[in-house]
Amino acid sequence: MRTATTSLEAAAERHLDDVYRYVLYLTRDPHAAEDLTAETFERAARLWHRFDPARGSAQTWLCQIARTVALDHLRSEERRRRREGRYAVLDSRRSESVDLESPTLSPWLQSALASLSAADREVIALRILLDLDAANAARVLGISPTACTTRLSRALQKLEEKVRPHLVA
Amino acid sequence: MSPDTPIDERFAELAAQLRLETPAMPERARREVLATTAAAAPRHTGWFSPRRLAVLAVPAAVGLSLALALVVGLNSALSGPRSDNRAASAKPTASTEQLEWVAPSEDARDSNRLRSTGPAPTGGRAQDYSATLRLLVDGTDDLSATTQRALRTARRLGGYVVSVEYLTPEPGEGSAAIRLRVPVSRVQAAIVQFSGLGRILAQETRISDLQQPVDDLTRQIRRIQERIARLRVQLGRPNISSSERARLEKHLASARNNLAGLRRERTEINRRAVYATVALDLTTQEPRQPEATPGRLRRALDDAVGILAAELAIAAYALIVASPFLLLLAAGFFGNRAYRRHADQRLLERA
Repeated sequence: MRTATTSLEAAAERHLDDVYRYVLYLTRDPHAAEDLTAETFERAARLWHRFDPARGSAQTWLCQIARTVALDHLRSEERRRRREGRYAVLDSRRSESVDLESPTLSPWLQSALASLSAADREVIALRILLDLDAANAARVLGISPTACTTRLSRALQKLEEKVRPHLVA
Repeated sequence: MSPDTPIDERFAELAAQLRLETPAMPERARREVLATTAAAAPRHTGWFSPRRLAVLAVPAAVGLSLALALVVGLNSALSGPRSDNRAASAKPTASTEQLEWVAPSEDARDSNRLRSTGPAPTGGRAQDYSATLRLLVDGTDDLSATTQRALRTARRLGGYVVSVEYLTPEPGEGSAAIRLRVPVSRVQAAIVQFSGLGRILAQETRISDLQQPVDDLTRQIRRIQERIARLRVQLGRPNISSSERARLEKHLASARNNLAGLRRERTEINRRAVYATVALDLTTQEPRQPEATPGRLRRALDDAVGILAAELAIAAYALIVASPFLLLLAAGFFGNRAYRRHADQRLLERA
């Protein structure tokens, strides 16, 4: 999906929620997602002159930046947890409790998503929520479109097993 | 499921549920982000970019190489013949005295037995006339017969044979080098007849003027004769002393010796001028055709191809030298990228 975006402001208007959803699915932390989304657009503002629409849409480009920002965040979180040892366990539990407080997701869906890995959640976010096609999602993930499709199928399979009772109901 | 296939229908209901519950950025945070992006620098919309520059660099380099080769080739073609041709063109054609070199044309070769005379000696002047004829004959039998005919012709015209070298190193192949002296007055007729003995491959005629030295010698002889006459008159006086007589006789003897020497010298020159030297080189072997001088276009192409080959050689050399380092760099780059992707994936699996 390519758009003739000429300004970052217009791109932000159009794709801000997409980036937020993607980061939220990755981190499962609404507060962190807000911060990381803001950081993503700050970085995008610095790099906007290098954006080339011929190589991909603004949505894909922003998601690539968001992924880098989110991975940096997850790495620093992991390091922090390692350093703090016992406290990390508590922090992890607290983190899990935060996403359960998200007002936009059903509790059963939040619970099911929490049982998935971030890798599974991000492919679902890209393909289902952001509606990226396999090629663009694969570009964001740095894998082949086929691998992206396979990963999505596996993630949805896992998620469906968790939420099946609620869907049937 | 192919990459372009939409979401699997098995998960359609789940996907619909997920899309229903799409979280949105809180309004406060949204305004802050949009304020940040409003100040972003405009995107560069021109066609010029580092990626395009890299894509253009290769054809530009190739085009530059071709242009360089073309310029060098054209420059070389327009600047005239090469050094070897220059050397050939620098060969003297008509130099000192009277020197004539005649290279028979294709027409002359085709019109077999076309008579060639060369420049004629100037009547009434003493000249050193020499001619060289290189003739092609048909086989060793013809070589032998032609040699005999040449000798007979020289004798019939009042000349004589100086030397004959007859060689047949291999069956069917042979050569004869004949040196003849022919009266200058009949040298034209001799050359005409010699040139009819075979196909002319080359002809050279040299004429050196001897009249000037003959005239100088004649003047000197005349002066000495006058001096001798004066000495004789002085010796004929009755009242000269014996010592004076001895001195005059000594001078007279010296003058006579000088006179004899000058006369010998003049006779020798005149004798040289009476006979012309004719060198006949007979051969059974076709001369090797000289390589045709390439045209300007051909030279331009040759030089351009040479430059391109040199450029390719330099490029290949640089590539060979740099390839280990490039391979190491590429391996490092791709290895690092693969490691980072793997690490990211593990991180996401854990998160």
